[in-house]
Amino acid sequence: MTVTIARPLPPPPSRLRNALRGVGYFFRRAPLSAFWGVIAALIIAMAVAAPVVAPYPPLKSDFRAMQKPPSEKHWFGTDQIGRDTLSRVIHGSQTSLTVAFGAVLFGTTLGALWGLACGYFGGRFDMVSQRIIEFLQSFPDLILAMAIAMALGGGIATVIVAIAITRIPFGGRVIRSVVLSLKEMQYVEAARGIGASHARMMFRHILPQCVAPFMILATTHLGVAIVIEASLGFLGVGIPPPTPTWGNMLSDALNAGLVPPWWLVLFPGLAITLTVLAFNLLGDGIRDMLDPRLRGSV
Amino acid sequence: MYSYIARRLAFGLLTVIGVSIMVFVIMRILPGDPLIAIFGPDGFTKLTEEQRANYMRELGLSEPLWVQYLAWVKQIAEGNFGRSFFRSESVADMLVRRAPLTAEIALLSVVISWVVGIPVAIISALKPNTIADSAARFISILFLAVPGFWIGMLIVLGLLFWFGYRAPLTGAGLFDDPWANFELVIGPAVVLGLGQAAYIARMGRSSLLEVIREDYVRTARAKGLNGRLVIAWHALPNALLPVITLSGVLMGLVLAGSVPVERAFATPGLGFAMFIAVSERDIFVMQNLVFIYAAVFVLINIAIDVAIAFLDPRIRLR
Repeated sequence: MTVTIARPLPPPPSRLRNALRGVGYFFRRAPLSAFWGVIAALIIAMAVAAPVVAPYPPLKSDFRAMQKPPSEKHWFGTDQIGRDTLSRVIHGSQTSLTVAFGAVLFGTTLGALWGLACGYFGGRFDMVSQRIIEFLQSFPDLILAMAIAMALGGGIATVIVAIAITRIPFGGRVIRSVVLSLKEMQYVEAARGIGASHARMMFRHILPQCVAPFMILATTHLGVAIVIEASLGFLGVGIPPPTPTWGNMLSDALNAGLVPPWWLVLFPGLAITLTVLAFNLLGDGIRDMLDPRLRGSV
Repeated sequence: MYSYIARRLAFGLLTVIGVSIMVFVIMRILPGDPLIAIFGPDGFTKLTEEQRANYMRELGLSEPLWVQYLAWVKQIAEGNFGRSFFRSESVADMLVRRAPLTAEIALLSVVISWVVGIPVAIISALKPNTIADSAARFISILFLAVPGFWIGMLIVLGLLFWFGYRAPLTGAGLFDDPWANFELVIGPAVVLGLGQAAYIARMGRSSLLEVIREDYVRTARAKGLNGRLVIAWHALPNALLPVITLSGVLMGLVLAGSVPVERAFATPGLGFAMFIAVSERDIFVMQNLVFIYAAVFVLINIAIDVAIAFLDPRIRLR
């Protein structure tokens, strides 16, 4: 009699493997978005490694090369006091991305959690919350950010807070409507039936379903946050000079004289456009993959 | 219909009151000390205790907060909006002088956004996934990413560089000097209009694609109506409803965008006044301007809602 020995099961796929497979799927499904995702990753890498990548220190002025057009030595030219524009643009990405990620991390997340609570509890809490969100949404976002940044005084933390507050209502609205429809699902009903606590139902059963819409919202908000940060810098309520940001570089260019040198205007703006484009297209791809129903709607 | 308008207005009033409280909270309570906003953190530390108390009293800031708030509301109700901390001009005078220019820019930009955005949307939706569609979509995605004020700077720079042209620096009324007025307004309006057009083309495309699949459009085709007529007469009016709503939402983009864009063009409008108020740390002017911008935004959205209710019986009857 032969004994059949059960073949050992293949080991469960590791998390890393799963993640890699997801990325591979993304590349095949949406090659264009994946390409822009790579660009976004490169920009992030550039920001992290700014001191290594930048050819000069961003604050070092070279008085022999003041306001020089692009050349072999200074690819993007130099500003009025001889600082290298390329280095400043590279270092500017650091501030821009810190602010953008910070604002999304606080604002969109806080809004999403608030929306989760609103949708889940409903009732009077929801009603009052919706009114407050409506008030917040009555402000054009840049104007609200300007007012808050001005009231708190300049600096990277205040800019993050100012932009984060403008992101709260969007997170609140979107996630609330997702939760409202989830709440009626049978598995939530079942969880309630077996006596799960509110916290457990919210975080264990409903929250995971909100991850996809949140990711979509967050990537879109990254782009918006970068533009608001640049506008604040341009209007002089952002991060104050000499710290280079793309916004305050553009503002400096306008202050340079009646005719601003073209390279001081062109390159920081290109950096903003490229970064926002990369995040937006990456966001589009993520949206199409995670939730085809939302195609073209956000 | 009337009850709908009345309800909408009542909610609007509530929102405006909420907005005023929020503005007040931001400008007066958040920093802990309005003097920091006026003098900056550095200047503030240089003031002596006595100076601080003096300034606070002079500015009416030592009253209890609710008294200050009511005083402000009274000012708004009287329509004079207080006075700048640094200039003699009152905010009301500033509005009379500067607001028309910004209003013109906003209106013209909406017109431009429709004139550019809707045809692009129609072409995209009628021939989806063709080269024209892809090009239109790419360009609109690009315009969603480009900051308007930067385009403005490039336009100003380009005109100066190649043609030695610069728009007049002083304000000119629409009726006093129409041409100078047009020169002032057209640049910001084009920049803001194209920014909106990108959103409108995107939304218009998906909305039209949806409507084209509806039964009544097929019926119109089936009864032998010519294709263009079906689109123009049957599909478009319904497809445009969400675009009108979007246009109202985008007014927020225009109102906010006008601040940096007016700075880029050096247009002497209300947005530029806000830039000045911010750089001079003039919290009183800023407080009033922020309130006015938000109130205008609320009013525009009420107007849009009413317009939609008028155009779409399904909403009116609800």
